Amino acid sequence: MMKTFSIGGIHPSDSKISKDCKIEVLPVPSKVFISVAQHLGAPATPVVKVGDQVKVGQVIAEPAGFISAYVHSSVSGTVKSVGPRKDLAGNNMTHIEIDVEGDEWIEEADLSDTLITAIPEDNKAILEKIKMCGVVGLGGATFPAHVKLCPPPGKKADCLILNGAECEPYLTSDYRIMLERSKEIVVGAAIMKQVLGGCPAVIGIEENKPEAIKAMTAAVAELQKTAKGYDGISVMTLKKKYPQGGEKQLIDAVMGRQVKSMGLPIDVGAVVQNVATSLAVYEAVQKNIPLITNVLTVTGDCLPLEKQHNYKFRIGMPLSYIAEVAGGVPAEAAKIISGGPMMGKAIANMDATTVKGSSSLLYLTAEQTVRGVESACIRCGKCAEACPMGLEPFLLNKYARNNMMDELEENAIQDCIECGCCLYSCPANIPLLDIIRLAKGDVIRIIRGRVQQGKK
Amino acid sequence: MDKLLVSPSPHLHTKTSTKSLMRDVVIALLPAVVVSVLFYGWSELLILGVSVASCVLLEYVITRYLLKKPCSVGDFSAVVTGILLALNLPSTTPWWIVFIGAVVAIGVAKMTFGGLGQNLFNPAIVGRVFLLISFPAQMTDWTRPQGFIGGGLDALSGATPLGLAKEGGVAAVEGLDYMDMLFYNIGGSAGELSAIALLIGFVYLLVRKVIRPYITLSILATVAVFSGIFWAIDPMTYTDPLFNLLTGGLLLGSIFMATDYVTSPMSNWGGVIFGVGIGIITMLIRYFGAYPEGVSFAILIMNSVVPLINKVCHAKKYGR
Repeated sequence: MMKTFSIGGIHPSDSKISKDCKIEVLPVPSKVFISVAQHLGAPATPVVKVGDQVKVGQVIAEPAGFISAYVHSSVSGTVKSVGPRKDLAGNNMTHIEIDVEGDEWIEEADLSDTLITAIPEDNKAILEKIKMCGVVGLGGATFPAHVKLCPPPGKKADCLILNGAECEPYLTSDYRIMLERSKEIVVGAAIMKQVLGGCPAVIGIEENKPEAIKAMTAAVAELQKTAKGYDGISVMTLKKKYPQGGEKQLIDAVMGRQVKSMGLPIDVGAVVQNVATSLAVYEAVQKNIPLITNVLTVTGDCLPLEKQHNYKFRIGMPLSYIAEVAGGVPAEAAKIISGGPMMGKAIANMDATTVKGSSSLLYLTAEQTVRGVESACIRCGKCAEACPMGLEPFLLNKYARNNMMDELEENAIQDCIECGCCLYSCPANIPLLDIIRLAKGDVIRIIRGRVQQGKK
Repeated sequence: MDKLLVSPSPHLHTKTSTKSLMRDVVIALLPAVVVSVLFYGWSELLILGVSVASCVLLEYVITRYLLKKPCSVGDFSAVVTGILLALNLPSTTPWWIVFIGAVVAIGVAKMTFGGLGQNLFNPAIVGRVFLLISFPAQMTDWTRPQGFIGGGLDALSGATPLGLAKEGGVAAVEGLDYMDMLFYNIGGSAGELSAIALLIGFVYLLVRKVIRPYITLSILATVAVFSGIFWAIDPMTYTDPLFNLLTGGLLLGSIFMATDYVTSPMSNWGGVIFGVGIGIITMLIRYFGAYPEGVSFAILIMNSVVPLINKVCHAKKYGR
């Protein structure tokens, strides 16, 4: 029987309209604006100043803490400004503006297509490369990859899980790289697995992507035949269910283990990395190419098939520029999402630019996305049935509206992963997640405060 | 596209709504409605009409003019209550008694608690039990009116199988054909006529994922096991399990009334406790109580402990 996670989950229509659109390389615009906050954690500190000449792949901002990451220039040219600019939510963040001149890369970058299968032996050097190349998790959270690959003392990885679930509807970028860059992804997996001490690696893919399963299985088989260090890598077909790609859910599905509340995956011996992150690791370690590109899907039901695209973009490209190249924003679009429709962010500002973790420009029509009028809770329990963390959103909603913080903590609001299953399934259109998200922030602040007081 | 919509995730929503769920319940009730109208004719049609119309009208008037809240009639929940109330009455009930039942169901059991989602007790059952206590003669008048088909079937008119068993013991119901009961039951409230029609509705509700099976199945299993034990000990005094499953309001109650979202527990395990409780109370009343039938009372009694069950039973949480 096909595996999946054990609690809750929903089955939205997968709408992978753009799945057969090959990855196209976006032309470089005349100007890019590169944000210094492209990862989870502290925004990086700019190390270039106005007037500096930069090459493609050159460091332009350095990590500003343990959980932070390097940012590199995605173009060659002259730094025009370093200052605040609005991101896609409309908040100000430091961006580095670069005028594009030519396309001159750093010397060490290997831009050839040759597949390098021999894995370097020095794990320390590999980790250093991953860190220096600014690789972050590309599954959504953009957590710095090298931190995850260094388990804290006393913890050991039992399994590296590559997340190829792509359980969000509409998105097809991971699917495309699994078809077009399968071998590179497997090499990346082998590198990470070696760094983690040689644990097995499982590539989890949902059943609705049979071609990706075939391509990845073939890539693994071929590399196991022709090169060393590829034993213990396998592909696992997972039953289609959202949110399969959630880290905690994927660990449950693949390993049958559950991460404790407020715990980390490594506590149960799991390290989860997205397939796109694996590709970035390959490029960093084998090709010396820092993370300045990724693939994003331009899609939506209101776009004709010929305007659906999977684009390889460089960081710092304005979203409006990408929309223009793709054939313009459709008139019916009422909301544009960056990311999937379940967990992505609504774009408030199309002048915002791409970041490492950008995964889509998704056009939704008013009919699809405008919420219905809230009515009375009929206590159907569909929210609790859908919650993949086993929470009871109807109860949390009630407690949150009455500011009952102790009850919220007792009922594990802090475990909410904000997947949106509760709000999606509520027949009464109650904005469950909106309310739970706010209260969760409060409860986590209370818990943190208590922990700090305990330390004093 | 001058202005973009911005809101927190998720950006998609299921097509299932309160209205579509209630509409599904109405559809699931249709087989039972059709069978009852076919066999009980015009008088049943009148009861259904009066019941549904007065439930909807009362809900409209009360929300609109008394509570001054947005009108909730459009969600079909009053229609469901209306049909269920009608199916819970003998097919000879006078129209004004039906209307009183609707006043109690919608006015007292639903609206005084705050309307949809707030009521502690199932409105249709409160309406029926109120009528049963207030008008005992009319509520146990089981003469069968002339139906559109099957006019000659009223071999046992005047009493339900459960009533006969209560009066005359097992011997009184010995000649009953269970196949008849499966397809067009003998005597009783309108909705109790055909087990098959009710089961078709059950399957529809399960397929459409309107309800989960735990409550219904635990009630039926409890009734089967409870009566099975007593029957095995003394088959001369106690009726057999199949008889108990097919007679009375057990199927109607366990499929359509005990599974009412508002008045049943939220969790699966809570549903099982709830169902076992209903099964045991039903059988205690049938075997040892003053009334021949106890499903309505059993559901009402268990309705009252639902808040306690919800307090104790929670879903299994991830990683805890």
